[in-house]
Amino acid sequence: MTSARNRELAALVPVAILLTAGFAAVFAQEEARLGNLSMIYGAYFLAVCVATHIYLRIRLPNADPYLFPLVALLTAFGLVMIYRIDDGLARDQANWFVMGLVLFALTIQFLRDYEVLERYRYTIAGAGLLLLLAPRLPGIGQQVNGAYLGVKIGPLAFQPAEFSKIAIVVFLASYLREHREVLIVGAKRVLGVTLPPLKHFGPMLVVWGASMFMLVFIRDLGSSLMFFAAFLALLYVATGRFSFVVIGMAMFVVGAWFFASTVPHVHERVEIWLDPYQDPTGSGYQVLQSIFAQADGGLFGKGFGQSLITIPGTDAALLPAAQTDTIYSLIVNEVGLFGACGVILIYLLVAARGFKIALLASDGFSKLLATGLTAVFAIQAFVIIGGVTRVIPLTGVTLPFISYGGSSIVANFVLLALLLLISDRARREAVEPADRDLVFGRA
Amino acid sequence: MDYDPISVALKFGFLAVLYLFLLVIARSAFKDLRRTTSPAPDATGFHAAPAFSEVVRGEDAWLVVERGGGLEADERFDLIGGLSIGRSRESDVQIEDRYASSLHARVFSRDARFFVEDMSSTNGTLLNGATLVGEAELIDGDTVQIGDTVFRFEVQ
Repeated sequence: MTSARNRELAALVPVAILLTAGFAAVFAQEEARLGNLSMIYGAYFLAVCVATHIYLRIRLPNADPYLFPLVALLTAFGLVMIYRIDDGLARDQANWFVMGLVLFALTIQFLRDYEVLERYRYTIAGAGLLLLLAPRLPGIGQQVNGAYLGVKIGPLAFQPAEFSKIAIVVFLASYLREHREVLIVGAKRVLGVTLPPLKHFGPMLVVWGASMFMLVFIRDLGSSLMFFAAFLALLYVATGRFSFVVIGMAMFVVGAWFFASTVPHVHERVEIWLDPYQDPTGSGYQVLQSIFAQADGGLFGKGFGQSLITIPGTDAALLPAAQTDTIYSLIVNEVGLFGACGVILIYLLVAARGFKIALLASDGFSKLLATGLTAVFAIQAFVIIGGVTRVIPLTGVTLPFISYGGSSIVANFVLLALLLLISDRARREAVEPADRDLVFGRA
Repeated sequence: MDYDPISVALKFGFLAVLYLFLLVIARSAFKDLRRTTSPAPDATGFHAAPAFSEVVRGEDAWLVVERGGGLEADERFDLIGGLSIGRSRESDVQIEDRYASSLHARVFSRDARFFVEDMSSTNGTLLNGATLVGEAELIDGDTVQIGDTVFRFEVQ
């Protein structure tokens, strides 16, 4: 079905135009002139995207046509914003974008038969957990702002949580695919609430324990929330029992509340969230500046390249961690509420396409894997956007495809590759209806 | 900082193109939603509705799910025209069972009588607890077991 690929190609053009316009606006602001450099950047971007598109046309002709353009748009947003902060960082980010696409292509090349993931699920789960714990290992672990998020081996530094989220979703999808029946069949109704069978309650407790463990040892509230919410989404899709979700959420709230009052780092995050004014120049500074930046943006924003990131005349940050944690606030500041709603809409559309893939997929594992990957992606966006808008405590999760960071970009491109692999198979089966009459030997 | 007209034009142009682009994609997503004709029986969309190809005269009979297979208990499959049971999407009754083959068994009618036949499955089919060899006639109340999935045969 080439019409899907043609739509993809057509959708990449406005994305490249948007990138060009964004860069042009930044240049117009910084150098007070309109050079042709933005056109060159736009052309490079389009060339890279079209190359990927041609690869998809050969390898996955039936895959969803809009996922890649939507993701390219997020990356374009990120590149413009990061360039606006620091052109050196933007060059790094552009390199990571290309690296991400290479890994994206390799994933599609070598995981065409993604069912093999199911066979190695315990290995994958082990690797995922090891990655999560790596930042706590002496020698290679790094502590950033009190949370253990980074790993540094020689010159190579990365955030393992970004990769482990994929590993854990793969494991959960394959585990629940096999055990969903017993979870439903063994369920008992107690006081009008459907409880999962006690024997199979174990895995749920293990996942809950793992996310609580992350809260305490990695001190990463955001990732912990992200993993557990993805697990609940998967559990709901696998069993169709809403009560399991409610029970899981209650367990998480109780656990998070307990640790928020006992673990100092988590406690501090919650305190800042509830009352950022208690230390406006210290711990509350980032949240407050992020909110002020968003308010300052207004409906249509101040325009590309117009917002202040450092206090004029000094190097002190007016908007701390603008290229990573608070990049969303920067977007609101520069393109306003409308631009920010556009960004949220992009994430919503990606999520919609992802769930559509899950609906179309024919077997349980594909359905659950597509659901899990989409859920973890959407929840990650929620956790960080919620953090900078003070809906939930601010944590150091990246805004997928927009934030500066190699691990985030590369890992999310692997996630996208898996979604497109599932989509390609599902849509191929949907257009070639199975010929059941062959079974019965009738014409 | 003064508001450069070029910069302002670029900003609004950017927002306009962004929203037009998103509108087009959202429209196609809504089109997809409308195209979905038969609603999934439950939120998970796991159970495919059985398709019938041909009506054969005779008594009405059903396969009723007793347990397993990722199907709801007491779900009924009409046997008009016969049914194939297996793990693949192609099966009329798609079951999620580790021990089921992709095309595991079929149920068909001949001269107003119903038969079950094992389609050379890997793990076999049990009819009333005994291994089914080839085909056998079904009588009201018979149970057909495939892996952990159990069906009951019911005649009107």
